[in-house]
Amino acid sequence: MAENMTIHVESISDVAGILERLCHVRAGAGEMTASAVTMNFVVFIDDPQRREWVLERAARIAEKHPSRTIVLDSTGVASGLDVSCNKRESGGATILNERIDVGVATLGHATIVGMVRQLTVAGCPTILWWSGARLLESRTFSGLVELADAVVVDSSGRARDEATLRELVEFQRRYPHVALHDLAFMRLAPWREMIAQFFDDPALRDDLFSLTALEIESGSEAEALYLGGWLGSRISWEATDPRTFRTSRGETVLFTRTPRGEGRRVVRVVLTSGDSRYLAQLAEDDENVVCLSVEGKRAKAGWLVPLHAVDNTSLIERAILAGARDPIFETTLETVRGLLGA
Amino acid sequence: MQTEVTTVARGDGQATNPLREGLATDRIADPCTIVFFGAAGDLTKRMLMPAMWNLRLEDILPTKFGIVGFSRSPRSNDEFRTDMKAAVDQFSRSGPAKDPLWSDFAQHLSYISGDFNDRGAFKKLRGTLDANDKQLGTAGNRLFYLATPPSVFGTIIQQLSDVGLGPKDQAEGWTRIVIEKPFGTDLDSARSLQAEVAKVFDERQTYRIDHYLGKEPVQDIMALRFANVIFEPIWNRRYVDCIQITAAETVGVESRGSYYDNAGTLRDMIQNHVLNLLALVAMEPPISPSADHIRDEKFKVLSAVRPTSAEQAAQMTARGQYGAGIIDGKQVPSYRQEPDVDPNSNTETYAAAKFLIDNWRWADVPFYVRSGKRLARKYSEIAVTFRQIPHRIFGEMGDRIESNTLVMKIQPEEGVSIRFNAKVPGPKMHIRAVTMDFNYGTGFGVTTAPAYERLIGDAMRGDATLFTRWDAVERAWELVMPTLECWKATRAEDFPNYAAGAQGPANADALLAADGREWRKI
Repeated sequence: MAENMTIHVESISDVAGILERLCHVRAGAGEMTASAVTMNFVVFIDDPQRREWVLERAARIAEKHPSRTIVLDSTGVASGLDVSCNKRESGGATILNERIDVGVATLGHATIVGMVRQLTVAGCPTILWWSGARLLESRTFSGLVELADAVVVDSSGRARDEATLRELVEFQRRYPHVALHDLAFMRLAPWREMIAQFFDDPALRDDLFSLTALEIESGSEAEALYLGGWLGSRISWEATDPRTFRTSRGETVLFTRTPRGEGRRVVRVVLTSGDSRYLAQLAEDDENVVCLSVEGKRAKAGWLVPLHAVDNTSLIERAILAGARDPIFETTLETVRGLLGA
Repeated sequence: MQTEVTTVARGDGQATNPLREGLATDRIADPCTIVFFGAAGDLTKRMLMPAMWNLRLEDILPTKFGIVGFSRSPRSNDEFRTDMKAAVDQFSRSGPAKDPLWSDFAQHLSYISGDFNDRGAFKKLRGTLDANDKQLGTAGNRLFYLATPPSVFGTIIQQLSDVGLGPKDQAEGWTRIVIEKPFGTDLDSARSLQAEVAKVFDERQTYRIDHYLGKEPVQDIMALRFANVIFEPIWNRRYVDCIQITAAETVGVESRGSYYDNAGTLRDMIQNHVLNLLALVAMEPPISPSADHIRDEKFKVLSAVRPTSAEQAAQMTARGQYGAGIIDGKQVPSYRQEPDVDPNSNTETYAAAKFLIDNWRWADVPFYVRSGKRLARKYSEIAVTFRQIPHRIFGEMGDRIESNTLVMKIQPEEGVSIRFNAKVPGPKMHIRAVTMDFNYGTGFGVTTAPAYERLIGDAMRGDATLFTRWDAVERAWELVMPTLECWKATRAEDFPNYAAGAQGPANADALLAADGREWRKI
């Protein structure tokens, strides 16, 4: 069970000393204190509606991984500078986490970036979880990216999915050395797995290269684009406009995206070849199950697979642990760039 | 550094699925039917069927698959499905099975009731497998899993051959056999069993399962050694003082009294699990991670383990049997009071041994191994203790400078820890040992799958890396036979010689004390 103790701090120069004393107290009287930090976890939040949601997930991740968490709260709800040391027992070990909450709503971008530079632990990787609405348009974001080894964003579930994807395409061009992780793409892993299943059967594999149409129904524009971009990038399709791919043989593949269902949710995928249709769609009576089937010449009786939906905390954790750049994501984003005409 | 990504432009002759790159499962098993012999037994209920269900949930099973249960007890297909549902509900790590997924999975399950001597039942099995090929598309691929007592292994294998289910009779597809441990009860019986297996299956088709090898931390031994540059240079007699391998349990014999009383710890744990761990720790680097290259190195190092004579066995080993005691605050009976155990049993529930390896890397470095039931803690580890520093410059302070120790933790915690000396903060140069810990769960944020899931999946894919090859099995029996014979010939008059919940018997402590060492605390 985690225990917490928070102290309000007046000056940023006092943070290090107070954290050290707090950790010593939290470790317990008489015990030798050893505090380990494996990463700087910088969390930016600007939406008061999502503030608690983000803070709760950040706390869960910090509890599990010894870290210095720096919460940059731009919602206007919090102000000033608070430091805390969280203690948790796990597997016979004591995990101490350092957390610094900074109210940044009234601060300029240079001040914020300067503070973060001062507060991060040198020599540890810095992960930026940016939950802000704007990316490259924000000078704070651009400044923080310069300090980060990895950036975690979520382009899905907002009104401006497509605009965010355009920014990510630009991000990749501008910061090729930074590992970018988009939860919207990571969330698609089960759907990628299911589409791959169709073509595990060697008898059907060649049909993958005869597809003529791809239809995706999704509550998230970003996820539909990512799923189409991923499939295209795997088999060397080139996106020629938002609704068309061209295969390496010069044939055209029609790409239809239909908004349907809840945000952050793919509902149905249909792949059509010259003589068969491959369908994957959420089961009517269980939203955690997907029905797969093949119709037409290569017809195959339907079968069910579980939809391993992964919660956001776990996705963020995976992004953190993955650390390095994901080449599959990067080639997908490159294909998405073609779909967006960016 | 960025990994190279391949994209595929054409499908002609595409051997692998290009969509699988970057996914959790990069290769799915071929369509196949798995036949579980001993389908009414505990192993099928507790481990095998839950493993199959979880493989299904993890999308590791191919879409075209069949599962056939074969056992003596009469029941219908529907009754078998109901029983397996109950087993999955009770024992699966993913919790109770739910519809519609279970109903879909259950359609692939069928059952054949028959005695293992009943030719008609095996003919019926053949009919079921042929029907699966047609109806489920399993393409003639068969995996036979012997989850039965070893006494019927030979009978089943012969029956398979007699009804045309052996690999030599096959027109298409592959046939493999998975054989549960123990592979024999001594060297002679193991050789006899191997002769029966080899009549029908060649070595590439034979998968001798040791579930210990499927545990993630066991697989990490190789990664630790051969994916890091910092350990291998000191992994030798020049720097290593000794290696201790411990496999301790708190449980007694539970419902396995009649089996265990004929087996004992040396057969049940040391001959297989523990010697496999020793081989992984001591072997030379394989030239590739392929099954044969790894198994070649394991066999080579087991071949270099110095054999002991029956006379030497008394000095190189220790045995024990638990008496009554307290485990987890509860009184537990002595071994001789357990169900189905001879009240005058001479069977050991604890075994310890010292092995020496005669090669350039390990000459004179003792490998101490121990395993036992009803010990203080459930704990398995491999501890590499390094030599003392050659010259001490902090001696005037009177601090104890410990030897460095690297511990590979196998269960219940899974991880690696390194113990080293550090200066205690302050004006004086005081030295104190500290521990640096790595824990799998925390480090990777994932829980590891049970060993059976990994191993069944590997057998279906035809990856034999984590299965034991016959030459290593035979060598392991050769190494323990002198001790088995010595213990059989001499009654342990001091049994029971350790209380349940203790660290083990005093003679095990004496084994190390004779070398000026002591066991790590369990």
